Amino acid sequence: MVSVPAMQRNKVILDLVERVGPAEAGQVVEVPLGPGQQGLVERWCERAGHRLLAVEGDVATIRRGPIPDDDAMLDEIPVDRQPGARLWIYTNFDCNLACDYCCAKSSPQAERRALGPDRIRELVAEGAEHGVTEIFLTGGEPFLLWDLDEIVAACAARAPTTILTNGMLFRGRRLDMLRAMPRADVALQISLDSATAELHDLHRGAGSWQRALDGIRTALREGFRVRVAATVAAGEAGADEIAAFHSLLDGFGIDRDDQVIRPVAHRGFADDGVTLTIESLVPEVTVTADGIYWHPVTAGHEDQLVSRSLFPLGDAIAEVRRRFAAYRWETRTAAQRFTCA
Amino acid sequence: MAESLLVGAVAYTPNIVLIWEGLRDYFADGPIETDFVLFSNYGRQVDALLDGTIDVAWNTNVAWARTVFQTDGRCQALAMRDVDAAFQTVFVTRAGNEFDELADLRGRRLALGSRDSAQAAILPVQYLRDAGLADGEVEFVRQESDIGKHGDTGRSELDAIRLLMDDEADAAAIGINTWEAIGREELMPGALAEFWRSPRYSHCNFTALDTLPEDVRRPWVEHLLAMSWDEPEHRRIMELEGLRRRWVLPDMEGYASLFEAIENQGISPRW
Repeated sequence: MVSVPAMQRNKVILDLVERVGPAEAGQVVEVPLGPGQQGLVERWCERAGHRLLAVEGDVATIRRGPIPDDDAMLDEIPVDRQPGARLWIYTNFDCNLACDYCCAKSSPQAERRALGPDRIRELVAEGAEHGVTEIFLTGGEPFLLWDLDEIVAACAARAPTTILTNGMLFRGRRLDMLRAMPRADVALQISLDSATAELHDLHRGAGSWQRALDGIRTALREGFRVRVAATVAAGEAGADEIAAFHSLLDGFGIDRDDQVIRPVAHRGFADDGVTLTIESLVPEVTVTADGIYWHPVTAGHEDQLVSRSLFPLGDAIAEVRRRFAAYRWETRTAAQRFTCA
Repeated sequence: MAESLLVGAVAYTPNIVLIWEGLRDYFADGPIETDFVLFSNYGRQVDALLDGTIDVAWNTNVAWARTVFQTDGRCQALAMRDVDAAFQTVFVTRAGNEFDELADLRGRRLALGSRDSAQAAILPVQYLRDAGLADGEVEFVRQESDIGKHGDTGRSELDAIRLLMDDEADAAAIGINTWEAIGREELMPGALAEFWRSPRYSHCNFTALDTLPEDVRRPWVEHLLAMSWDEPEHRRIMELEGLRRRWVLPDMEGYASLFEAIENQGISPRW
């Protein structure tokens, strides 16, 4: 025969069914707890498909299920954009330019904070084992590194690799380094903000537009796939400017899919721009010498730090996927709760 | 062919809105556009089906029986959840009570749910009669907490279990879904024990009058049955509606015991 206190303790199950059962899916419900009832609540939530969010004092906070598993939430994203498919690597943070909207605060004065080929080799090997299908090398300006060819070879051996560059340094030994890189799985993404020098040079420095244009020509001549990315501040690029940009790049024979126009992010040096939060970004795992971050545009920002430790990378990828699925679920259920009519 | 179908459902939980908005969206891509209206109780819903306000009613087994009685059988069941084809009533007691069969309830107190609940009131009374217990030999302690909703909320069954745990009843008759919801004997070992379980019977179904055209019925049912547990958006709706895995065609034999119980107990076709 069960004791009276034990019978009373078990009644929490009835409270749970009564309070959580009628709640709307996704709703957070608080259930009062007595002594010794937490274990029962945990077991009931697991069995019933709800999520125990917290037990504080004498209250259990529970999210009403059904809660889709993480894979189901992630499957709503195209496979090549799912968190963990893309791996961004900040090879270094120093740069020959000091663009006024740089999200990474790179400049000639920035510390290098290079990852180095050995760690990058280990990262991409581990990444490939955990679903990374595309690698992006960025900075800073990667072509400031004398061992970039070694880094690129290590990456391209694992997955198609894109190097983000301002395209201004393809001369002398650095041109030799470029020429030594494989063509098959390597693309260059060169920054060019406008069809004419004025706007580009306004943010990136005098003469930089012409040198970027020369870099595009060099990369194409050397047989690389070239993607061109423009970073555009609000109100600076109207339809005419965008049409001229596309026209210029069409003239180079660059595919429209490789002509990227994106807004300035309100991060780093930028005084204005699109506000980006963990909840609003589809994460793209980003490794720097300082840690692993949620997205390349927020690298170095504490609010989007995933892990200080670079290894094991698989753990960080799993954590990003888990958190993204949870945010997505919360956003969806919040939207359902806060419909206005 | 009808351009759209209007389905009625009883609003016994806020999730009904999520379920039916999901089903409406699902049917928007199908052969028969479908919309829904909500009722506060099954009586109103059956009335609306009979007067043509709605084309289809998502009915409990008791509401199905009411529809059959009031139309002289000129109605049809279109489909049901997989769990509806295998519903059961469970008799539970406090662990330590030495009950082995229904006859052991002679002279004891049995907590029942709302009197319009098939699983927690109507059928349990029939099971006792079938076990040879005369009326009055078992004291009924009724919990009428969700009258009109035919036991859908589960509330009256939880109240019955509270009575049992407070020693104000010696046993309780509840639906298998409530027994599962409280974790059967597994979450409360040594607290409650099942001592009798009924044969399977049928529970809810989509009910239509026999005037629903065949060229509407067939594609609508086919599209419903095509919902897939493996599709995340379908699954979300199916989980909320309490399916185990799929919609199925109705098991009509599973309603025989309820019709027998209603007749045997003299229950009115309208209540």
